[in-house]
Amino acid sequence: MKEITNKVQAIAAKLFEEGKIDVFLAWEKGELNFKTKSYVARNALDVKNIVFDEYSIYNVSNSLLKFRDSHERIGIAVKGCDSRGIVRLLEDLQIKRDRLYIVGIPCPGMKDPLAAARNHGGFSKKQEEDGLAKKCLDCIQPNPVIYDELVGPEQSPRQQGDRFARVKEIEQMSADERYKFWEDTFSTCIRCYACRQVCVACDCRTCIFDEMKPQWVGRENSSTDNMMYHLVKHSHMAGRCIECGECERVCPVNIPLMLLNRKLIKDVGTLFGGPEAGMQYVEGSKPPLSVYRENDPDSFL
Amino acid sequence: MKVLSKAKLEAALNKLSDRNEVFVPMQKGQQSGYFTWKSFENGQDELMLDALNVYQSPKNAVLPQTEKMYSIKSQGVEVNIDQTYEDAHPTIIFGARGCDVKGIIAMDDVFLTRGYEDSFYKARRSGNTIIANACYEPGANCFCNAMEVNSLEPVGADVILRDAGDGYVWEVKSDKGEAVTALIADLLEEKEAKLPEVKPFIQKVDYSGVAEKLKSMFDHPLWDKLSQPCINCGMCTYVCPSCYCFDIQVKMWGEEGYRFRAWDSCMFEEYSREAGGGNPRGASKERFRQRFLHKLEFFKERYGTPLCTGCGRCIIVCPTDINIVRIIDAVKEAEINA
Ligand code: SF4
Ligand code: SF4
Ligand code: SF4
Ligand code: SF4
Ligand code: SF4
Repeated sequence: MKEITNKVQAIAAKLFEEGKIDVFLAWEKGELNFKTKSYVARNALDVKNIVFDEYSIYNVSNSLLKFRDSHERIGIAVKGCDSRGIVRLLEDLQIKRDRLYIVGIPCPGMKDPLAAARNHGGFSKKQEEDGLAKKCLDCIQPNPVIYDELVGPEQSPRQQGDRFARVKEIEQMSADERYKFWEDTFSTCIRCYACRQVCVACDCRTCIFDEMKPQWVGRENSSTDNMMYHLVKHSHMAGRCIECGECERVCPVNIPLMLLNRKLIKDVGTLFGGPEAGMQYVEGSKPPLSVYRENDPDSFL
Repeated sequence: MKVLSKAKLEAALNKLSDRNEVFVPMQKGQQSGYFTWKSFENGQDELMLDALNVYQSPKNAVLPQTEKMYSIKSQGVEVNIDQTYEDAHPTIIFGARGCDVKGIIAMDDVFLTRGYEDSFYKARRSGNTIIANACYEPGANCFCNAMEVNSLEPVGADVILRDAGDGYVWEVKSDKGEAVTALIADLLEEKEAKLPEVKPFIQKVDYSGVAEKLKSMFDHPLWDKLSQPCINCGMCTYVCPSCYCFDIQVKMWGEEGYRFRAWDSCMFEEYSREAGGGNPRGASKERFRQRFLHKLEFFKERYGTPLCTGCGRCIIVCPTDINIVRIIDAVKEAEINA
């Protein structure tokens, strides 16, 4: 990975020197070995801080959201999942393709700095495993789907078996059992909204949960409001979730958010077919549930 | 000295729970925080008194994340308060670390001093007793010593426990402490116990002069750089033992409903949005700066002590590695060009 770091640094330095970019988004090292975080290089001198290592798990496509209203030309290094995030932002017209110079990195799988931080912090009695992060073991697209330049050898998907196995189990439950299951699952949510903030697909300028007049979803920690939050958040992700797993990874109370995301991925796949969210970019294309046609079936109305 | 042997710990918690709601640090399924002893499920939950700390602080016991305040009934144009819910039922926080005790003492300043008393907080706090757990071995991210907390002698604790291996030395510190001690007097033994050796702090933090220096740093360029990675989730504020911001909201069904307060966070855009739609802290950087200025400058100016208690939680949970210790360092090192 040192080699990849060097190559990315060299590309970023060249882009700065040729005046082709104003910023380069990637990762940098924090003070401890496992602390790798998102980074914005602003000039050729900053480039030396860029790293790509086994903890570069953060989905940097999310960092683009802070630049959507400005005019900087942006270089960005992306893994497979991050690149799918860029496709989402392009589809949603949040950023223009010609502002971006994308350096794709086929991803060998990452470790989770948060799990390492928890192990290091001493709050838990049991140590968590320090192998590849769960989201990386479940990854179907380690290779970037959109890029101007590719660095490093292609990787094969790590996901094994039926990725909808658990979803299918839950589908088999009776309606009451299922309700109970989700009610229990969401009862521990502290509504910190980290799962929303870390999500690149949550790119709405005004989020429904922040609307006050009218207030669509209450702020109580109650099963009603918690369920409303999650059902609304996740249904907004139908056809949009790029399966980057960041929401589940950052949740401070370990809510299995990917389970609901996968249910929606499965349903959207069955109902609409076509490639999954962010898997390919075709200019002007929209994901399912983002277009309106006169002849849309509306049997439920 | 009085000692509660660990073999009698569960008996003591049972006994205290007869008349009190007792909050203890636990690992409960996927959650790590303070939960009531009555909710403890043998074989599933794990008591965390012997761990450094738990992720969700005990502030929930005195400032619940959601707290019903009063119910309302409207008849025509008239709106009447039907019932208020000031809740003074007896609670005990059992085993709070010094940093978390300080969090509550800081909230006492906010809710009970400077000319206004919050009756809901006052009621809860009046029924609340704090049994602290002294720290002899600070963790990797602990820096309470730099934030005016004495982890061995937490100020504001009604009882202080000291883990002496097979028992807890039980030190009574106040009348409230006497009262809970009386409840389990028959379980306490009078004997000598050997206290553990005090280990040094790993984090070295120097907060001196930071509040004063920050006064002239509101527009300093360092905030741009420091805030860059922050995604303005509210995780750091929700796990923090001393963040107390709340919002008051209402739920109505036709003519009836209730008002409640719920934790809020300065990290949320909606928190500082004004009725007309403007927002003085519309940008991510501004909300980020607010959090750290409140912790390190404003609170110190108003109450004479920082609002960060050095517990280290936000350092562990932040998904973008924002580290308040590094922010203190950065402020210390910053150059101010007047
Ligand atoms: S990150 Fe977890 S706790 Fe926070 S709002 Fe999302 S599900 Fe709830
Ligand atoms: S919902 Fe979760 S997995 Fe899906 S795009 Fe958002 S952060 Fe990634
Ligand atoms: S910050 Fe201080 S009081 Fe809190 S757990 Fe660490 S050593 Fe104990
Ligand atoms: S500092 Fe970290 S935990 Fe706090 S809002 Fe920012 S990203 Fe979230
Ligand atoms: S700001 Fe962070 S370290 Fe300070 S008291 Fe809050 S959670 Fe603990």
